[in-house]
Amino acid sequence: MCFLFQKSYTVLKEEDILHRQEDDVTRVSTVLSISRVAASILLRHYNWSISKVHDAWFADEDAVRKSVGLLDKQVVQLSNARELTCGICFDTFPCDKIISAACGHPFCNTCWSGYISTTINDGPGCLMLRCPDPSCQASVGQDMINLLAPGGDKDKYSRYLLRSYIEDNRKTKWCPAPGCEYAIDFAAGSGSFDVSCLCSHNFCWNCVEEAHRPVDCGTVTKWILKNSAESENMNWILANSKPCPKCKRPIEKNQGCMHMTCTPPCKFEFCWLCLGAWSDHGERTGGFYACNRYEAAKQEGAYDESERRREMAKNSLERYTHYYERWASNQSSRQKALADLHQMQTVHLEKLSDIHCTPESQLKFITEAWLQIVECRRVLKWTYAYGFYLHEHEQAKRQFFEYLQGEAESGLERLHQCAEKELQQFIAADGPSKEFDEFRTKLAGLTSVTKNYFENLVRALENGLADVDSHGACSKTTSSKNAVVGKGKGSKGKGGKTGGSSKNGDD
Amino acid sequence: MQASRARLFKEYKEVQREKVADPDIQLACDDTNIFKWTALIKGPSETPFEGGVFQLVFSVPEQYPLQPPQVRFLTKIFHPNVHFKTGEICLDILKNAWSPAWTLQSVCRAIIALMAHPEPDSPLNCDSGNLLRSGDNRGYQSMARMYTRLAASPKKGNFGNEQAVILLMNLANPGDDGYRCSGLDLEVGI
Repeated sequence: MCFLFQKSYTVLKEEDILHRQEDDVTRVSTVLSISRVAASILLRHYNWSISKVHDAWFADEDAVRKSVGLLDKQVVQLSNARELTCGICFDTFPCDKIISAACGHPFCNTCWSGYISTTINDGPGCLMLRCPDPSCQASVGQDMINLLAPGGDKDKYSRYLLRSYIEDNRKTKWCPAPGCEYAIDFAAGSGSFDVSCLCSHNFCWNCVEEAHRPVDCGTVTKWILKNSAESENMNWILANSKPCPKCKRPIEKNQGCMHMTCTPPCKFEFCWLCLGAWSDHGERTGGFYACNRYEAAKQEGAYDESERRREMAKNSLERYTHYYERWASNQSSRQKALADLHQMQTVHLEKLSDIHCTPESQLKFITEAWLQIVECRRVLKWTYAYGFYLHEHEQAKRQFFEYLQGEAESGLERLHQCAEKELQQFIAADGPSKEFDEFRTKLAGLTSVTKNYFENLVRALENGLADVDSHGACSKTTSSKNAVVGKGKGSKGKGGKTGGSSKNGDD
Repeated sequence: MQASRARLFKEYKEVQREKVADPDIQLACDDTNIFKWTALIKGPSETPFEGGVFQLVFSVPEQYPLQPPQVRFLTKIFHPNVHFKTGEICLDILKNAWSPAWTLQSVCRAIIALMAHPEPDSPLNCDSGNLLRSGDNRGYQSMARMYTRLAASPKKGNFGNEQAVILLMNLANPGDDGYRCSGLDLEVGI
């Protein structure tokens, strides 16, 4: 399947922003035959919209001049006196020590400098600076700032001007990643809000939260609000590490995937999410990876459906905890994967290249695998917010959703495991081995299969699991073995595999 | 520090000269601290504050005149934009619309103007603001005048409690246009 949609946005670096700003100022300055400083003040006033400036100016130039403070002529008559009194410190100065904006109100150098500096340090309001005389509307432009402001304040002013160009413009926004100084210019009217900044941060243009397909902005806001409201509970719960299910020693998770191995002598392998033995997970043992499912759904027949729901209503916090914990686990897994990716790119790839006598360009499949893991963790994380808000009574959808999510999770676990654990032996190897080629095929295959599966998942969730209404009723029990791989190859037959939940009993 | 001191000293000299010029304002600097000022202002005519003399206290910051002075009423006043208990004043030029070209004298003038033209839509004294906003101009006038007499009358010492009660009773007596005394704060001044 191809994803050939046009990119609907441009990432702007600081020099691009300055360049655009300059261009806009030049255009307005040329068209209106006014100075660049005046053009900049005008643009700032009309939120950097050239068309608005033009419209207003040509509709009523005098009114615009008046409201923006671009005076035609001085309001103060020039006297022939050799000395003038500064309107702030009330000292008298020779005329050449007195400076005025276009209005002619006289102030001394020192007072101007103090006035400008105070305003700049009060915040971005300094971009609308006017003459200090209370009755005067004359604007003070960047030329006077540069002439009179102390050095550091000049820089601050320029920053505010740059920021204003991005922040006041409806078509541009800063990338919200901490420390990132790029801005995004977004063309309205395109389908997807997902934006990928050059700093590698992906975010949603609409709500500026991190990218959250397949969940919509409203759900994300609700979820984030809920998290902050419940965060004290959550912090308490999550701050406590989990005990090893076998030896009960407290364990802190420091690896990316959910497959945990307790330290020797215990060496118990278990799933971080459900604390069940890992041998019950994955298809290796023919088991079914159902760790995404709320409650001990595996204890077949222990609860009937209505009892389970009553139980859930009673434990709404517990239910929330379930989703939050999985959301947060995937979040931290993603952080870890990002760190691992970085480590891979900076250290391990070179090492691998040496050991296996392979050019780094041929090791791209490893980077690609890790990028895919990072992206999948993100999607998977948001499916838990999706699941939390999925209606209880939409039983068919719910089952189908949990099935899809379970498959996604097990597929991703396999990929993550392969990229993290299986790669270790090749990094530790002394020389080239022919298994490395097999590993390459396996990892590349897993990457592509997982990619397809997640793309399908995102689309299915985005259209609200519409397939379910037609197929949900006829829940068939199909073998889930290899289903992950099979599913990736096409979106057909999703509905037919709805029988995931009853699967457990059969295995 | 030096700049603000110099500027305040200039204002001080100006005040000495102008004393006769503006009979409504009497500005005085503290004997020991040039950053502390007081002012006596006359209530503007044709307002409920007419006949009253109100005392203001100024606390001038070291960054003056780049930063505005802090001003509050020392005399109790019933006005939508003055805090009834603290005397704090809500006036744009004392906050974000301050300009270093303002002086203490012009601040006093602005406050007199505010007394004549209250802004009931951004009230610091909600009772007062509500009277005006509900269109009860007479109620507002009566209350304001009462407090002017009680607190800002120059012959305050002669103004006994008995008279105050009589005054209050007169004020509270509903007139033929249905005067309401909803905002009356009986514990003050009696």
